[in-house]
Amino acid sequence: MKHTFKAAWIFSISAVLVLSACSGSEPTAESTAKETQTQNTEPADPYGRYEEPMTINIGMQVDPTDKDLPSGDTPLDNQYTRQIEEALNIKVEHAFTASAANMRQKISLAIASNDLPDALVVNAVELRQMVAAGQLADLTQVYERYASPEIKDIIEKTDGAALKSVTFDGKMYAIPGVQADADGIHIMWIRQDWLDKLGLEPPRTMEELENVARAFVEQDPDGNGISDTIGISGPQSGDGKMYANFLESKNNLFGFDAIFSAYGAYPGYWLDDGNGNPVYGSTLPETKEALSGLRDLYAKGLIDPEMAVREASDEPIINGKSGMFFAPWWMGYGPLTNAVKNNPKANWQAYALPLDADEAFRPHTATPSTEFVVVRKDYEHPEIPMKMLNNLFKNEMENTFDPSKGGPGFYPLRVVFAPSDEIEFTNKAIKEVLAGTKTKEDYAGDRSYKLLSSDLENITKIKQEPYDDWSIDTWTPDADWGAWTRAYSIMVGGNPLVETEMDRVNSMIYEQTPLMESRWVNLKKMEDEMFLKIVMGVAPIESFDQFVEDWKRQGGEQITREVAEALQQ
Amino acid sequence: MRIKGFDKHYYLMLLPGYLWLIVFSIVPMFGIVIAFQYFNPGKGVFHSDWAGLEHFRYMFVLKDTRQVFFNTLLIAVLKIIAHLIIPLIFALMLNELRQIVLKRWIQTIVYLPHFLSWVILGGIMLDLFSYNGPVNQLGALLGFSPTLFFAKAELFPWLVVGSDVWKEFGFNTIIYLAALTGINPALYEASGMDGASRWRSLWHITLPGIRTTAVLLTVLSLGNVLNAGFDQIFNLYNPLVYSTGDIIDTWVYRTGLLNLQYELATAVGVLKSLIGFILISISYYLAYRLINYRIF
Repeated sequence: MKHTFKAAWIFSISAVLVLSACSGSEPTAESTAKETQTQNTEPADPYGRYEEPMTINIGMQVDPTDKDLPSGDTPLDNQYTRQIEEALNIKVEHAFTASAANMRQKISLAIASNDLPDALVVNAVELRQMVAAGQLADLTQVYERYASPEIKDIIEKTDGAALKSVTFDGKMYAIPGVQADADGIHIMWIRQDWLDKLGLEPPRTMEELENVARAFVEQDPDGNGISDTIGISGPQSGDGKMYANFLESKNNLFGFDAIFSAYGAYPGYWLDDGNGNPVYGSTLPETKEALSGLRDLYAKGLIDPEMAVREASDEPIINGKSGMFFAPWWMGYGPLTNAVKNNPKANWQAYALPLDADEAFRPHTATPSTEFVVVRKDYEHPEIPMKMLNNLFKNEMENTFDPSKGGPGFYPLRVVFAPSDEIEFTNKAIKEVLAGTKTKEDYAGDRSYKLLSSDLENITKIKQEPYDDWSIDTWTPDADWGAWTRAYSIMVGGNPLVETEMDRVNSMIYEQTPLMESRWVNLKKMEDEMFLKIVMGVAPIESFDQFVEDWKRQGGEQITREVAEALQQ
Repeated sequence: MRIKGFDKHYYLMLLPGYLWLIVFSIVPMFGIVIAFQYFNPGKGVFHSDWAGLEHFRYMFVLKDTRQVFFNTLLIAVLKIIAHLIIPLIFALMLNELRQIVLKRWIQTIVYLPHFLSWVILGGIMLDLFSYNGPVNQLGALLGFSPTLFFAKAELFPWLVVGSDVWKEFGFNTIIYLAALTGINPALYEASGMDGASRWRSLWHITLPGIRTTAVLLTVLSLGNVLNAGFDQIFNLYNPLVYSTGDIIDTWVYRTGLLNLQYELATAVGVLKSLIGFILISISYYLAYRLINYRIF
């Protein structure tokens, strides 16, 4: 171990860069020939089976601790890969696999060494880098000809946002995944049973939030006689963030997004200054105010004292030691399944709270596309990944796969295609069906809500009457944990989204500008470090002003101008 | 020497080491050119445009870089000193122990942490020093209020050095013990005859006897002076302690591998190698001048 690390780090990354540079770097002239070859614009069969067996080498994220696959199955041989081979005659091979923690560096190395697999799933920054390096196939024709009508429908219903994120100089260089809007709305999850026990209401204002958190910390809500409970969970060390930002605009677990927005602060987002000019939210006075509020909560011990140092923030939630956290709707898929398995009475409910000074909930919103399927330039069959995505979506609609035999993450090149209102729509549909005002058959035509039919079928297995009460004791998760995970997320996590009037705040831009490629990392580091220090009381609140000055001087001002220019175009 | 072809075996045994060195150390040196380019992976090292010294200029503008170099030097120097002194003292103490069985036990136990990786030890350390961890519970008994040790920038370098010494001192102790057994027992007998106390023979026989080993270990570790321990720090640090805990290697990792700034990361790596080279040259020269010792 030690020696390999030494070797790698003494000469830093240059090692890998060169080794492969010797083998890589193809001449670029060939690509033009390929483009003319695909000028055919006839629509093709999105599900057509290949006559000859095809092979595709992909880079894939595999969680080594995932034990969902039945014995005998592997990430290369499971229900998904077998179905792909049978339906499309495509054999999937792995160019590399990596765990979630190592995937980014693996991709980074693949880019740097110009040694890409035939296809893989990347994020926005990587996509940009690969396009700039001229490593990707132009997928414009592939998308036109092969994308299934349902997927096209979902991509095109994002008001052009999904397509814009993959279009460079008029060409499409990736197939954008589309995630539900709900993934970007961070709501309050709270132990309702603790509130009830202490005779409290869900906190509506920051003041009430402080009182509830204090009661959670001081009044022994878990009743074990030891003062060992956490008021508000905070971000974990490593990948934890206090707030989502314009580049990672969704699914921030255990951050303080809702608290920031209660102060009217949107750090990490590019906001309109009122005159149509962009301004970076982290540098505004509202953010200073919010940081000062959080600093106060932390100093009083109401936020997890181990925030930012704790390795896994979900642990105290699962163990019944935390009373409150902020995260999107899907927490059934997050810590709550294990929390309820541990304590069937842990009644986690969700609210669109706390409210700001105008009594409104104003969350920031996300860009629909954060995951992209890219294809290596010069790959002979650039349409194969598209057909695999078509196939996934079709089979999800038809309910072919059994998630208990390996979750959908095992589907090669999987990205999510969800209509933007999937959660809200499903939530309402389930309520209608439970109330008896509509039946399952009424929803048979909504094919792009791919899991709706199974959702409607399963709900009565796990949800008991009364149907207008969503407390944990009205659910029977033991009947089907898989179905409960989804239904509890959609109903309990979806209710605040459906029932609350929200003024959503957009970032003016969700992509990097050229200068950010070299300067953003250091600005972001400065920001993360400074804000954490302010909240945790290591640096005085006044250092915020110094941060704003430094930020502007070290490239922030130039970047702001660049963002303004990008918005003009 | 005795048989003509005998040397061949030695060279054969050297071969894997040389292969390793060539593949991982010599060939990659060529990658240094990336630091002087606008590196475009699609075009590769041979066709990317030249940037001159721009990345180096930017590197010196960044406050981070200076901080990171300083942190690296501080942590590494503290580690080198601690790794020299503590195992030496421990080995001398063990050497005075007459109970062979007890000696073996102690030797083995202190040696054990050496075999654990920092991924595991990092988790253990974080738990030990966590808010409700044993250290804080002990402190509570003594009347201290709980502290989040790994969130305190001023403590971080000491925790890093301390835990590294705890992990590795058993290993270094064994090297010193081996050197101690190499001292001719007749010398001790003679000094005993002459009426020397144990302190005297320690000073005049033991210490001179292992001087070469001590110097050798130090000189060799000076080559690592800019490697403050990536795997250890990577598993222990968080943004709160970047100001004192972020070292060159973790910074290069984040910049180059996570944020795709290959050129800047390489530039910092090159500067690191350059400084490392100068330091090794100095230490080699010093070892030669001070005790007339040559490695090569």
